[in-house]
Amino acid sequence: MDEKATLSAAEEVAEEAIPVEGAETAEAVPAKKKRKPINQQKLQDNLWGWIFCLPLIVGTVWFVYVALVMALMLSFTDYMVSEPLMEYLFTLGDHPAFYYDKLTQVNVEGADAWYKYIFAYKIYIKEVASLPGDGYRVEMWYYMFNTVFYMIGIPIGMILSMFFAVCMSRDIKGGNLFRVLYYLPCVASSISIVFTFRILFKTQGVMNQIFGLSGGEGQAGFAWLIGDGNQTWNDIAHKDIHTEFYLNPFWCQGLISKCVIIIMSVWKGLGGTIILYVAGLSGVNAATKEAAQIDGANGWQIFWKVTMPDLYPTIFYNIVTAVIGGMQIYAEPVLMYNESYLTSGYVSLIWNKGINKSDLGNAYASAGAAYGMFLAVIILVLTLFQFWLDSRNKD
Amino acid sequence: MDNMENVDNVENEVVTKEAPLPGSASQEEIRAYYSPLRYGWGAFCAFFGFSTKTHRASKKRAKLVLDIATYIILLLGTFIMIYPFWWMLAGSFADTLGSGSTDLFYQMVWWPSKSTTQGQSGDLFYNYSQVLANCFEPPASGIPEGYSYWRAVLNNLIYSIVPVVVGVITSASAAFAFSKIEWYGRNFVFFFLLAAVMVPGPSVMITQYVMYDTMGWRQNGLALIIPGLFGSIMTAFFIRQFLFGLPTSIVEAAKIDGAGYFRIFCQFILPLAMPAIMAQGLLSFMGCWNNYMGSYIMIDDQTAWINLPHAMYIVQNQLGENQGPVIAASVLCVLPVMILFACFQKLIINSLMLTGSKE
Repeated sequence: MDEKATLSAAEEVAEEAIPVEGAETAEAVPAKKKRKPINQQKLQDNLWGWIFCLPLIVGTVWFVYVALVMALMLSFTDYMVSEPLMEYLFTLGDHPAFYYDKLTQVNVEGADAWYKYIFAYKIYIKEVASLPGDGYRVEMWYYMFNTVFYMIGIPIGMILSMFFAVCMSRDIKGGNLFRVLYYLPCVASSISIVFTFRILFKTQGVMNQIFGLSGGEGQAGFAWLIGDGNQTWNDIAHKDIHTEFYLNPFWCQGLISKCVIIIMSVWKGLGGTIILYVAGLSGVNAATKEAAQIDGANGWQIFWKVTMPDLYPTIFYNIVTAVIGGMQIYAEPVLMYNESYLTSGYVSLIWNKGINKSDLGNAYASAGAAYGMFLAVIILVLTLFQFWLDSRNKD
Repeated sequence: MDNMENVDNVENEVVTKEAPLPGSASQEEIRAYYSPLRYGWGAFCAFFGFSTKTHRASKKRAKLVLDIATYIILLLGTFIMIYPFWWMLAGSFADTLGSGSTDLFYQMVWWPSKSTTQGQSGDLFYNYSQVLANCFEPPASGIPEGYSYWRAVLNNLIYSIVPVVVGVITSASAAFAFSKIEWYGRNFVFFFLLAAVMVPGPSVMITQYVMYDTMGWRQNGLALIIPGLFGSIMTAFFIRQFLFGLPTSIVEAAKIDGAGYFRIFCQFILPLAMPAIMAQGLLSFMGCWNNYMGSYIMIDDQTAWINLPHAMYIVQNQLGENQGPVIAASVLCVLPVMILFACFQKLIINSLMLTGSKE
């Protein structure tokens, strides 16, 4: 049945493609039958190629490209979520001219008003109030700093997972079992992990017991989480230094809380990277390795001179994806500490300005879109920079 | 490595041809050179697999020692990776209701046990019964009307089965078109889709939100279903890689036998690519099951369509210090995914390995 249906459908299309005057006498003309098989095959190829791809193309265009272009246009306008703009757009209502005007209407304060806002909007930060200045700082840089700070986890995770991958790809029994066990955190939901880690890292919690930091009589335990106490750099290491810089530097606020997020994300992401590295290591040329061994190279030299060059594509892929993913960190800090300029990532701003009404009094989708575009540009620049480094490396 | 062992030494041995001492060596130097301490140290090192100037350690011994060290390191790592889960399970039985009864909660627990001051019911599964019966009921602040724990599970199942099953099939069909059919514009479309991977999700989050809001998808859960139905680009690329490994002659033979492309896809490609499709489907299932952010941002939290992680977040906010049920809910959220992963771990890991080696 299927076969007949497809064949007849293909024939229909084939006949549609034939010039109109020949269509009625298609069976009667023998010259046409000669060419028909070739045409039909090609037509079928094209037809089914497009049909099979259509859902993916539609989804991508709709939810990525259209959304991207609309976000770009929105960022230059002054649109609020409560306005019925999109209703006009999607129901194609009575006033097409209206929504076109609205979407392309430049923000009254200038098209780049929201982009200026990103770099100009200041919030009061009580941690820097004692420093010169009035304590009002540009909000965006604080969130960006947190995002970049969380990327410390990337090299740590790289080295750790490389180490474990080398261990696992040794010729030992049960290497596969370890791979599975290390991958477990990757499949667990981040919300469960956050809830667990929040208790493990409490002042009287398990982590402090392991490291003997629980405190004791009259002595407070080590505070990992932001709610458990104020942790400046002074509290941790530089108790004697009371210079202006060390007294209340902005970057040390919530430092340990941020480190908890880093520990958690390294722990969660380790398994996935290990698997990629194990796959890469199994692809390393064994003959080259053996040759190097016969030539008298030791294990360390073989690792750096033979294994690493072969592993380079995997490492590069891992770093690129980790940086792209790291720029988009959102859920973990917010779940752990709620929204805060000391811990939240940059994506929090997009949510808070564009969708959540609490921040600006209204949800300015345009502001969120502008923040989103800035993030996209940063990620693009970072990725291009890495590919540029890569191309330099190859020469 | 194996044939090396035949040629090389298998026993620890003393190096007989050491570099000779220079003729000008003094008596002390010669004594130190042949001192029993030096040779003893060499033998000691060789016993643990390290070669020195005096003794050459056997390959077998070196491997054995390294293997033991590897096992110790890997087991230590395993402990770090597994213990939080074990603690989660053990801590979920702790009683956190009474004041001062949270001792068990803040300990290295090795085995689930009843807390000493078992608060209200004396029931080991008190937290779990709380989660299933009380915590997710609408009177609790913030939880929408008509909600319950089982509704959350149902929502999660809907969000992670419907889009994943349909999405994987649409991805596979696109992969089939990219790998086995020659059609006009194939390369252009391929790179057009590849470029879409570069667009970061948060950047288009606002417009997606506005779209779903306008179409009412935030109120009926379609915001987490419809976008997934169209398939995912990365899944399509992975299945495409897999299909490149299949011989094209299958498709050619089927075509000669008169099968249309639709039939080829249903009867040949889908069964043959089933390992890849299953693995990708399972990975997306896990992703959708754990999708906190999607529900938090895209689903209206005044409707009963929020998913399980989102509901857990709302519930823990109003439970305050009584974190026992929260941990129990975490266990219940992680468990299905863990079981699924345990059942299909070989498939999933192999598929991930393939992704790694294809990069």
